[in-house]
Amino acid sequence: MTTTTAPHTAPGHEEAAQATPSLARRTLQVFTGNKLALTGVVLLALLLAFSYLGPLLYDTEQTHTDLSQANLSPGTEGHLLGTTDLGYDMVGRLMVAGQTSLEIGLAAGLLATLFGTVYGAVSGYFGGWVDAAMMRITDAALAIPAMFLLVVVAAIITPSKGVLILIIAAVAWLSPARLVRGEALSLRNREYVQAMRMMGGGGARAVFKHIVPNAIGTVIVNCTFQIADAILYVSYLAFLGLSIPPPSADWGSMLSAGITYTQNGYWWLIFPPGIAIVLVVAAFNFIGDGLRDAFEVRLRK
Amino acid sequence: MRSLKAAAAAGLVLALLTGCTREGGRVDMGPTGGVPVEGGTATMALPPNATPNWIFPIGPPGYGASYNAGIQFLLFMPVYDAVLDKDKGGLTTHGPSTLGLKPTYSDGNKTVTVPLRKGVQWSDGKPVTARDLEFWFNLLKANKANWGSYSVGTMPDNVKRFETLDDHTVRLRLTRAYNPDWFTANQLTLMRALPQHAWGAQADGGPVGDFDRTKKGAKAVFTRLTRHAKSLGSYGSDPLWKTVNGPWKLAGWRDSGQVTIVPNEKFTGPRSQRPHLDKVVFKPFTTADSEYNVLRSGGVDYGYIPPSVMAQKGKFEDKGYRVDPWEGWAATYIVYNFNSTHAGPLMRQLYIRRAMQHLVDQKAMSDVIWQGSATPTLGPVPVTPKSQYLSKAMERDRYPFSVAKAKSLLTSHGWRVDDGTARCERPGTGADECGAGIEENDPLELTLLSQSGSTETTNMMQELKSSLSKAGIDLTVRQQPLNSVLGNSVPCTAKDPGCDWDMSFFGTAGSWYYPLNPSGEQLFSTGASANFGNYSDKKADRIIRAVQYSPDMKAVHEYGEYLADQLPVMWMPNPAYQVSVIRNDLRGIEQNPTVTFAPQDWYYVKKKGADK
Repeated sequence: MTTTTAPHTAPGHEEAAQATPSLARRTLQVFTGNKLALTGVVLLALLLAFSYLGPLLYDTEQTHTDLSQANLSPGTEGHLLGTTDLGYDMVGRLMVAGQTSLEIGLAAGLLATLFGTVYGAVSGYFGGWVDAAMMRITDAALAIPAMFLLVVVAAIITPSKGVLILIIAAVAWLSPARLVRGEALSLRNREYVQAMRMMGGGGARAVFKHIVPNAIGTVIVNCTFQIADAILYVSYLAFLGLSIPPPSADWGSMLSAGITYTQNGYWWLIFPPGIAIVLVVAAFNFIGDGLRDAFEVRLRK
Repeated sequence: MRSLKAAAAAGLVLALLTGCTREGGRVDMGPTGGVPVEGGTATMALPPNATPNWIFPIGPPGYGASYNAGIQFLLFMPVYDAVLDKDKGGLTTHGPSTLGLKPTYSDGNKTVTVPLRKGVQWSDGKPVTARDLEFWFNLLKANKANWGSYSVGTMPDNVKRFETLDDHTVRLRLTRAYNPDWFTANQLTLMRALPQHAWGAQADGGPVGDFDRTKKGAKAVFTRLTRHAKSLGSYGSDPLWKTVNGPWKLAGWRDSGQVTIVPNEKFTGPRSQRPHLDKVVFKPFTTADSEYNVLRSGGVDYGYIPPSVMAQKGKFEDKGYRVDPWEGWAATYIVYNFNSTHAGPLMRQLYIRRAMQHLVDQKAMSDVIWQGSATPTLGPVPVTPKSQYLSKAMERDRYPFSVAKAKSLLTSHGWRVDDGTARCERPGTGADECGAGIEENDPLELTLLSQSGSTETTNMMQELKSSLSKAGIDLTVRQQPLNSVLGNSVPCTAKDPGCDWDMSFFGTAGSWYYPLNPSGEQLFSTGASANFGNYSDKKADRIIRAVQYSPDMKAVHEYGEYLADQLPVMWMPNPAYQVSVIRNDLRGIEQNPTVTFAPQDWYYVKKKGADK
């Protein structure tokens, strides 16, 4: 019985299980040796600290507007980066908006990865007509431009944090699904999977105990890119006017509002949220690249 | 060759010294004045998505847009119109640009006599006569359901008999006595003179006759004219539309909506109405951004900018343009749904509406969010431009911004603010209680549907939400595309499934553009077609009827003052129709608040230091 319940006893897994501590260490070594990946981690940590710890240290009014303080330029007393067109302090606004962008991005990216991974693993493992049907659904969904779907759905439903997470995840799961399905097609023919099946293991066990854990490298790397994409999706939608109702804000809606004043030279409404979006997306991409290299090393070894 | 180079160098130095622009001179800033020069072409940008698509002066439903009427009036002189009174200022119903002269009322205001300007001819040399007005009336009466401006009980239903007294006088026998000002401003302005001698055939190629005098014939004539009007691409070549009596004639009308007009050399109206320009082009744009880009590259002489760019006025002036907000004859408001399933009892309390109005900082919104291109709305009658409809009492802001007053109104009626939200503490119908239908502990929570796509509107709603929250009123703003907002904010009863909306805003470009007399029979009468919020008040109904039927101006003042006080809607800043940017050497442009245009008054002026 133990052979069917403990995946690490399966051929291949045994070796992997025994070598896990050293492999994990080596993976970490490769990752920490990647300067770009470390830069990504530091950037992400700084952005998280800025968004979540910042408001504790730098308290500003972010609920009530103050039109008498609108569009003040950077350096005006009490407003390091000036104020918005409704009189919100720009630094404080960036902090609050960062929370929304990061939360939606992380949640949507994780949700899309989770669903896509399971979907892809089931499709790849079972193969045959199940795979054909599931992948045709994926192909059909991929044929519809994601932005079009997002705009239509967000226009019908009043956006809220939960709604945005769901609708972004609903278009973002397709990529991990296809990636994991490819991995699953290869993994399902490995000896340890065959052995588990011969010993009476079911499909669910194969998917969740063997296919998904062995595709985890691909999944994690893809997840970082999914999060970066989700943050960009939030920004796109906000830029098109489909964001969470005020007084909430996200970096995309801040950028969109700032663009209105391009001709007035109010650069402080445009550059800070724009740079924040670039930094967070770059950070996740750097981390993703670093993780990919780290997992590749492990696989080669 | 040497001398040519020397002359060119001298010319360059002279140009630099005199500060010549690339056009070859400078012009003092201003809408009038300067030394006029004849000729030239002016290109005017139409509003985003405004595509002129109807030439026949009787527009079916959906074709009555102001830009269609504006262009029709240039080809076919209006009988009456909201025209700027150059002597007295303000708006009047007749002037040099109208065919009709001052109408006279008799028989206790049950009869109106319309005298027509003499000597005006159609472009084919035939005179414009009372028969042309009768032709319009006959077509209208037989086809009123196909006329976009028709509403039951008004023109032509309210005309018992149409009489032709002579070639230049018609008399209308009305079904009852009407207020002369209201009837002229809102009914006679619908009259048109149509060339019966050219358009009176029942079929293409058929004879022209008095077919319009029978119902069947009038239907056939109308059907034929409507069929021709539907063929947009043929407007420029269709002989029907070549018979005009206005100062302009058509030179081109593209499917895209671009319209080109040139002076009608056979125009026989007043001399002052003869065009100075050689050509005027009305250019359509799909978005405000595309128009803005063309404007900046000099592609239009008369365009517009987003209000957010008002701060850059100086830059446009440096480039040789003047910036001039075009105030509309409009009111802007947020509709309260008095039948809302959830908030109906709240909306029906006058003290709550008063408290909410005290929380609308219209001045700050106008100055900061609209960059000075909007003006506060203080009641149903527009405050600007000044008019005979506005009394002294209406110019006063009854509900100035005051959080303290709003709070006081709520607390004195039994509301207590807990955790930022006001809750009813004293239910009941007494003077110091919350009011009928409001239970103990009910929160003061409201939902507002607001149109999306405008930074100014989004900011106004954020500002409103912020100020309402200061008094404990929790407002949830749901932004939707304009068509969704209009589709969701329809008159309803509390039991209807779609009656769960509390408030609605669709006034980014003004909520309601009035005809000349800003009466409210379509907006605030019980059951009126545009009374989306189901407002119903017996006194309001009575005084609105009085505006239509009583013989003097007191009625309109009483109506304006009462509704300004009663707040059937939440008054909001009224944005300009557009913030116009006009080439500074293009003069004579007076922006009519009813958003029609008169390019026959436009002219270019000579620039200092250079001929045009």
